[in-house]
Amino acid sequence: MDIKDFIAPFAVWKRAFEKPFTVKKPIDDRPGAPRYRGFHINDADKCVGCGTCEAICMNKAIDMVPAPGHDAGPGDSGLRPRIDYGRCCWCALCVDICPSGSLGMSNEYVWIDSDPEVFRYTPGVEPKPWDGAELGYRRAEGYRLLDEHRVDMPELHHAEAVKSFLELVRGYSRQQAEKEADRCVSCGVCIASCPAHMDIPGYIKAVRDGELDTGLRLLYETNPFPEACGRICTHLCEEACSIGTGGDPVAIRWLKRYIADQVELSDYAKALPRAEAPTGRKVAVVGAGPGGLSAAYYLTLLGYKVTVFEKDGEAGGMLRYGIPEYRLPYPALDKDIGYIESLGVGIKRGVSIGKEITLAKLRADYDAVYLSTGLPTAYGLEVPGDKHPRVLDGVAVLAAATRGEELRLGERVAVIGGGNVAMDAARTALRHGAKVDILYRRREQDMPADAEEISEAKAEGARLVEKAIPLEVKDAAGAYAGKSAIFVWNDAVMVQKEPGKRPVPEPIPGAVREERYDSIIAAIGQGPDLSFVAESDGVPMKRFKPIVDADGKASTGTVAGAPVFAGGDLVNDRKDAISAIADGHRAAVGIDRLLGGKGA
Amino acid sequence: MNELANELARRYGARDWHDQRPNLASVWVDAIRVHDSLAWLKDSAGYVHLSFLTAVDNIERKAFTLTYALRNHEKSHGLIVHCDIDRDNPTIDSIHLLWGQAWTYQRELKEWFGIDCPGSPRKDEEFVLEGWDAPPMMRRDFDSLAYSQATYEDRPGRESADPAAHMKQKLYPEASL
Repeated sequence: MDIKDFIAPFAVWKRAFEKPFTVKKPIDDRPGAPRYRGFHINDADKCVGCGTCEAICMNKAIDMVPAPGHDAGPGDSGLRPRIDYGRCCWCALCVDICPSGSLGMSNEYVWIDSDPEVFRYTPGVEPKPWDGAELGYRRAEGYRLLDEHRVDMPELHHAEAVKSFLELVRGYSRQQAEKEADRCVSCGVCIASCPAHMDIPGYIKAVRDGELDTGLRLLYETNPFPEACGRICTHLCEEACSIGTGGDPVAIRWLKRYIADQVELSDYAKALPRAEAPTGRKVAVVGAGPGGLSAAYYLTLLGYKVTVFEKDGEAGGMLRYGIPEYRLPYPALDKDIGYIESLGVGIKRGVSIGKEITLAKLRADYDAVYLSTGLPTAYGLEVPGDKHPRVLDGVAVLAAATRGEELRLGERVAVIGGGNVAMDAARTALRHGAKVDILYRRREQDMPADAEEISEAKAEGARLVEKAIPLEVKDAAGAYAGKSAIFVWNDAVMVQKEPGKRPVPEPIPGAVREERYDSIIAAIGQGPDLSFVAESDGVPMKRFKPIVDADGKASTGTVAGAPVFAGGDLVNDRKDAISAIADGHRAAVGIDRLLGGKGA
Repeated sequence: MNELANELARRYGARDWHDQRPNLASVWVDAIRVHDSLAWLKDSAGYVHLSFLTAVDNIERKAFTLTYALRNHEKSHGLIVHCDIDRDNPTIDSIHLLWGQAWTYQRELKEWFGIDCPGSPRKDEEFVLEGWDAPPMMRRDFDSLAYSQATYEDRPGRESADPAAHMKQKLYPEASL
């Protein structure tokens, strides 16, 4: 060993009291750059748990895990991303793709622990020192990996639309549909919000892939009315769409329509399942609306012989008689019904239960009965003078329009109500050349009608009179006597009576107004007509509704005869087509289970 | 600066001059002329500083786009020289004799993209990926998820739930549909 090697270590002591070249604990003084990609942060209230971050992660560093305090619900899976820093490469693709923009990264990069297992956590759920960090990486303003704008739907201009009953919405072309389908991230958060729990990501993928037969098969797994629902569904799915948290929701309804429009009825049989071998059992369905025919379709597939009894001259229920053809053209509805009939479902049109045939007779002749009679009885205005001959029932007006009857509404029409029937009645009156006022007792934002129906009614020329409480209907005077009516209402103010509940309209003293109208269309709701159900049928009721179990079974089994199931508007509170369809499907499975089928 | 654009076009067929901002421009040259154009820019046009050298995988047009960022300190101007090379035969002249530090960038290019610069010192040595035995990771057809799953073990206890399945279990478990 050289003597220098021995002395050298001691030589450094001469520097002992000099200013060090190194900086003590430099990490304390060296924060990450303002847009440094450090540990993740997540606004867990804004996050909807769609898992798009997990799907895009190229290192499988993200798991979706249940998060305390965040329950599953409409538009929120209740899951939140958990990051494994043993795999994360800090690329920030998860931040860039996040539809809601809830996920970000702090500029913190120091985390010291002797336990390697701790480097995995759920940002925004498990507290960390960098929670709420203002600095760090965020998706840059205007930079989107996802397209936030939906493909515009070609529609007739309102000025043109109001001149005829031509369909407003023209439908997507293939190019438009595939582009719109490409916006879907297949998270599946929408499925829970659909009453029928349709495989929405599945059929959107089919559109994307150009596999329309597959798409049609997926539609029919849970919904045999794709043409109708592709046009008029209340599309709760779109309210839950995760893409909608940061832009326009995917046009799920239009994509469903695209599939059904593109496949010819003659090709349906090639794409859809065949019925199972006959069971030898018969089921009667009362009401050929979407719920009744949905039950009939699925029962037929299960091998049952199904007969549907319909009081009207055509099948379709409210889809035909309650929705004008500019929203749902009859050929589209006929296509849905035509396929169901092609499977052997017998529809006896013009047969009214309780008149031509009794429920007891059906219970004696069939192995099960499904009631899906809807809400055919319109509520009256319940004000003095509401029996005036110019006071009309909204559903009856729409049905008359469907039957092609002369409506004779006159030049000035008032529509009382704020639901979809009111909007459709108003728009029908507009198409017959009338000047239309829509009077509603609350505000526009309280109206139960679909927002697009309201805006389209206004765009087509209807005048909306809010906070108008009906007081009276009087006969018009002079030359108009007997031909027109005076509608009297009280202007109201909205009052918050109870915290947390919606405000109620209170009449303003003395603010009474009146207008003369040639027709006053009452569209304030409908109720059921269960006069055909006898006590001996063993169907318990509560508030004029049959009480049903989880399978839709209404009868208690305490009386002889076939069991009775019920569904649709008659039973559920949603009162829309897709809920009726879901009820019909559920009842079909329930009937099959009860009669010893596969579901037993 | 248009004089420079014209001169580059005349001498080396440079094209698509683009003033990105007053003190930064970009221009394209053919790969076969990139070395000569860079040499001229350094020796005769004042772009004496090589800020960095990198590449982009433009897989759609089967090309790697090389990007040489130069700086003229006297004029406070930056110039980015782009050139495309064949993605199936990714070779480009080395510029380490023009700028000494270029060999480091070229070694990085070899490891991350598989772009070869013949003659560049230590170009085949590992750069930052010790023991890397997969295709170059910055190529866009490198499947990092597959590599990650094949190479690394899952941490014990990791579980992930599918949003739709989780919501069905929580919200409508009884549905037989």
